[in-house]
Amino acid sequence: MTNTIQILSIEKTGKESSLQKEHNNKSIKIIDGYFFSTNLDDLKFTKISKLISNDVSQTILTKKNVNKVLSSYSNFNWVVEIKFLPGVTDNIATTVKEIIKDNLKSSFKSFELGSTKIILIKGRKEDITKISKNEANPLIQTIKIYPFKKYLNNFKKNQFKIEKVKLPKKKYSKKEINLNISDHQLSLIGKLGIEENDKSRRGTLGLDLESLKAIRNYFSTIKRKPTDVEIETLAQTWSEHCKHKIFSAKIDDIYEGIFKKYIKGATEKIIQLRKDNFCVSLFTDNAGGIEFNKDWIICHKVETHNTPSALDPFGGAITGIVGVNRDCLGFGKGAKPIANTYAYYLADPNKKYQLYRQKNKDPMLPANFIAKGIISGVRVGGNCSGIPTPQGNVYFDDRFAGKPLVFCGTVGIIPKKIKGKLSHKKKANPGDIILMVGGRVGKDGIHGATFSSEELDPNSPVSAVQIGDPITQKKMSDVIIRELRDENLYSSITDNGAGGLSSSIGEMAKESGGFIVNLEKVPLKYNGLYPWEIWVSESQERMTLAVPPANVKKVIKRFNARGVEATIIGKFIKKEKAIVKYNKTEILNLDMEFLHEGYPKLNLKTSFPKIKKEKKKIIKKSILIDKLHKLLSSPNIVSKEFIATQYDHEVQGTSIIKPLQGEGRVFGNATAIKPIFDDEKSIALSQAAYPQYAETNPYDMAGCSIDTAYKNLIVSGANSKKIAILDNFCWCSSDEPDRLYQLKEAAKACYDYAVAYQTPFISGKDSMFNDFKGFDKTGKSVKISIPPTLLISSIGVVDKISHLTKITPDDGDILLVLGNTRNELQDSVYSKIIGYEKSKNPVVNSKDALRTYRNFEKANKLGIINSAIGIDLGGLGIAVTKMAIASKKGLTFDLKLKNKISVDQFLFSETQSRILVSLKKNKLPNFKKIFKASDYTIIGKCTGSDVIEFKDNKKIMRGKISDFAKSYKQNIKGL
Amino acid sequence: MNVLVLSGYGINCENETLHAFEVLGFKGKIIHINDLIQNPKQLNNYQVFAIPGGFSYGDDTGSGNAMAKKIMTNLYDQLIDFSLKDKLIIGICNGCQILINLGLVPSLNKKDPEVALIENKSGSYECRWVDVKVSNNKSPWLKNISTLNLPVAHQEGQFMIPINLLKSIKANNLIGLQYIDHHKKLAKGQFPFNPNGSKDDIAALTNQNGNVLAMMPHPERAFYHYHIPNWQSKTLKKFGDGYKIFMNAKKFFA
Repeated sequence: MTNTIQILSIEKTGKESSLQKEHNNKSIKIIDGYFFSTNLDDLKFTKISKLISNDVSQTILTKKNVNKVLSSYSNFNWVVEIKFLPGVTDNIATTVKEIIKDNLKSSFKSFELGSTKIILIKGRKEDITKISKNEANPLIQTIKIYPFKKYLNNFKKNQFKIEKVKLPKKKYSKKEINLNISDHQLSLIGKLGIEENDKSRRGTLGLDLESLKAIRNYFSTIKRKPTDVEIETLAQTWSEHCKHKIFSAKIDDIYEGIFKKYIKGATEKIIQLRKDNFCVSLFTDNAGGIEFNKDWIICHKVETHNTPSALDPFGGAITGIVGVNRDCLGFGKGAKPIANTYAYYLADPNKKYQLYRQKNKDPMLPANFIAKGIISGVRVGGNCSGIPTPQGNVYFDDRFAGKPLVFCGTVGIIPKKIKGKLSHKKKANPGDIILMVGGRVGKDGIHGATFSSEELDPNSPVSAVQIGDPITQKKMSDVIIRELRDENLYSSITDNGAGGLSSSIGEMAKESGGFIVNLEKVPLKYNGLYPWEIWVSESQERMTLAVPPANVKKVIKRFNARGVEATIIGKFIKKEKAIVKYNKTEILNLDMEFLHEGYPKLNLKTSFPKIKKEKKKIIKKSILIDKLHKLLSSPNIVSKEFIATQYDHEVQGTSIIKPLQGEGRVFGNATAIKPIFDDEKSIALSQAAYPQYAETNPYDMAGCSIDTAYKNLIVSGANSKKIAILDNFCWCSSDEPDRLYQLKEAAKACYDYAVAYQTPFISGKDSMFNDFKGFDKTGKSVKISIPPTLLISSIGVVDKISHLTKITPDDGDILLVLGNTRNELQDSVYSKIIGYEKSKNPVVNSKDALRTYRNFEKANKLGIINSAIGIDLGGLGIAVTKMAIASKKGLTFDLKLKNKISVDQFLFSETQSRILVSLKKNKLPNFKKIFKASDYTIIGKCTGSDVIEFKDNKKIMRGKISDFAKSYKQNIKGL
Repeated sequence: MNVLVLSGYGINCENETLHAFEVLGFKGKIIHINDLIQNPKQLNNYQVFAIPGGFSYGDDTGSGNAMAKKIMTNLYDQLIDFSLKDKLIIGICNGCQILINLGLVPSLNKKDPEVALIENKSGSYECRWVDVKVSNNKSPWLKNISTLNLPVAHQEGQFMIPINLLKSIKANNLIGLQYIDHHKKLAKGQFPFNPNGSKDDIAALTNQNGNVLAMMPHPERAFYHYHIPNWQSKTLKKFGDGYKIFMNAKKFFA
């Protein structure tokens, strides 16, 4: 009899090798362990262990062989046992349960099991402690360190324990909350949560005093006390995360708010001017939709998952990516996800920031742990879902030490019409059944929506962390897209994300009028959840469907046949009421109008911020070639190839412009996929953000982001009339007038540049409080705010394969820069790495930019352009070096100085709206027919040698391409 | 010519795999594993059985293991039967891992799996293009092909083969594909030419008849010329190298 199955690889695994290397210790072995809640007899033990192991590559440990097997590897003396805390998603355990259930049909009634990672070492206790810190996160895992002898003893005496979720057996009785209390007491409810009978608090509701007073007023007019469920629901629905109160608030003299005036306003203006069918579905749905061709619509959505990723980087990031996948599944009648995008803004992984959420305790995770976790979270989420992840970027800055920014995006595709009906229109009808499909509900993610709207401080709840389960979602998604959607079996669909059922049903019910939900019907991961927890839980992998009663049986049957749960939990009604029952007791009854619009509107004031003057750095004297090497190897320019190769960008067979470009594999700033086999149209994707420019001038910062994201698509070959953009504002301290000033300025630039470029915003999201309040290692209190970051994602249609460009010139090509270069080194990579004297920040002149882009587009369609690359970080010098690295072909560069700027300004200024192109010599006359002489500079040619030569009047400076490539492909320290 | 393309539980390359067969004139259907278990007789309608790539069961308990166990419990005899007829089976990437876990290749002792696919030596997922050479050109899948440029995308693609078995695999000529370097010489384990550290640079194995092919690289992702990295700098025909594998399937039934 035993209650554990433990398996180890006979040969050294890749993971073991990397651990051994990292810790400089050859005696490290990892065991995959499974702990069972019941004892297994010998027969069951043999059967199950055979089912979950591999005879050829693995050994199953038994009481008899454990000592002998393990001692053949080393004389281990320390062990760390890592398992998930009770209630945390354990995907491996779920699979093992399914394998046992599928293959040993009747031999088990019910049992629980947990997966465990056991690491053995020969070394000191400090060594194993260090390993455990790199391999486990105490927020979601239990970590037990003990001597090897004890491990053997545990093995022999069946002392490995699985920890189950133990919730007190409690009977729910309807709880009414008295709000006729002092303002102080009222704000405590908002900040710390509803008080339980034992005086403990449930955790932050994120409701301010004004909102609580609005709730009090509502209930005094309807003459009763609110229930706990009602307050929880209002907190979710009114959260900044769901309602975007700051973007809709009156701000200074802008009564309609910056969203209506600047973001939506820009799109409305553009639609008014364009008069075509490009914009299909904007701002109202889970994602924004545009026309791809006459039969298909594509949609795009980008989300952030910052706070969860700070607490559990892997879980936060995987939940971020599979969550935004569901936004596509929930677009219209359900779009199929066809590409993922990512952008990470992180602290330097090589630095130790040593931050604490509480004085001398509750440390922040180390920066490299956060970076690695985020990168692998999106890898597992994207790869396991079979969605290519071609497009992304990473940026490092110390100011992300308190909160990393994790942007996850998805592109989806859906036929324009399904059975003759427009696919992007959906409407839950009165009488439709509310069907919850996918995963079950647990305590995970409780209060996610309310807490992501708050600053990260000691009261940030840890139960707010979820871990995504991409396979459960994949199974669900396959049924929806393949087996239900095209038969029009449901009337509406939406995703369960922030706020869980309370949010998804609440939103969908706007289509019919209202809803009645019976919460006791909701399938749970474990018993003991309170109704309010079921209602707001953010357990992942769930969608909500509105199904006409006649189709319900059929729909449930189809889900069940694919191993997916589908449960009737209520119905949509015509009456504009939100009603929730639990075992027949009514625990929520609100007017829909109050639920969605009853929150007090903010009235915000801004003030011009004091500009912090950056200290003047002296330029370190060094030669040009050395400067190029320094910039190439700096973290924000260095190649991100190691991410591109671990993210499957080839799945679905659609990759046409890949993340690594040219023989020399340069990490590109735009990629493209060709989603339909029999149409040569492609989708080009890019993105840009310039947090480094934000403090100097937020208006120009936003202009640069839009310009770069747009330019990258033009350069890749997209049709300028078919480009759309998405905005993701990640701000800090959005209750401070100077931060709000920066926000207003950035939003204003969004309007101006979007209208100038005629690129509609189709979707967006904001996250307003990316601040860390805590302590440093000396116990001094610190606040770290991210620099205001506006990520602009761009999506465009490329009409023909022949329009797609490459970044690699050919021998004999002439090199030209399109657009003029100004002295704009302020906040550039050069100024950070090398130093600067007097300079300005980059400012986008949209008129000049558009002339360049239109001419480029024309020349490219005529086949005049041979290769092209958008100039961004590091300026022309870096762009030209990347071209050489990508093509493995030498270039000459004539440092002809324009506008009286210096060589360094010419090479490293980050002036926007410029493109480096190469032409075949014989195309120059045709090129000159399109471009005015003042709009370009001939800078050199492609020689095909193995060096780049920079010539000025006096001398020639040479650098070998292979050396540049080496600098560019350096590992990022700490990763 | 009918092809059955398997789906379900996280398999995810079924559409592009089916498309490749269809372009060659096959009639095909994507069938969920649960439907096949419900009605295994439908296998009789098909000449080709394809297990595409993906992440069945999220790779938990070893890539391909859980799906292989499900097939073993429910469909094993039917699949063995299929493999003994004049029919073709292909497993690509996760499909390869499933075939290996089922023991359908190399299938020298026809019982338990004899070969394992373990984690890449680098310890990380590798999505990159590789060159392979055909070692067993008797297999109908690989006839008249010398080398191929194809992408791999996997975490567990390292073939682990006990020494004695490797000897008989070689003696029986069951190595399908091997990774090669830029000079068309065997990669000799050298990264990134051999992306996973596979023994003897093995990228694919066949059974003795050659009609069952388990390959880690993805031919369906190198089907058209525009799939090939930097296609704009090359003079190419309409199709990429992956096309040749599907063409061979067509020729087999011609």
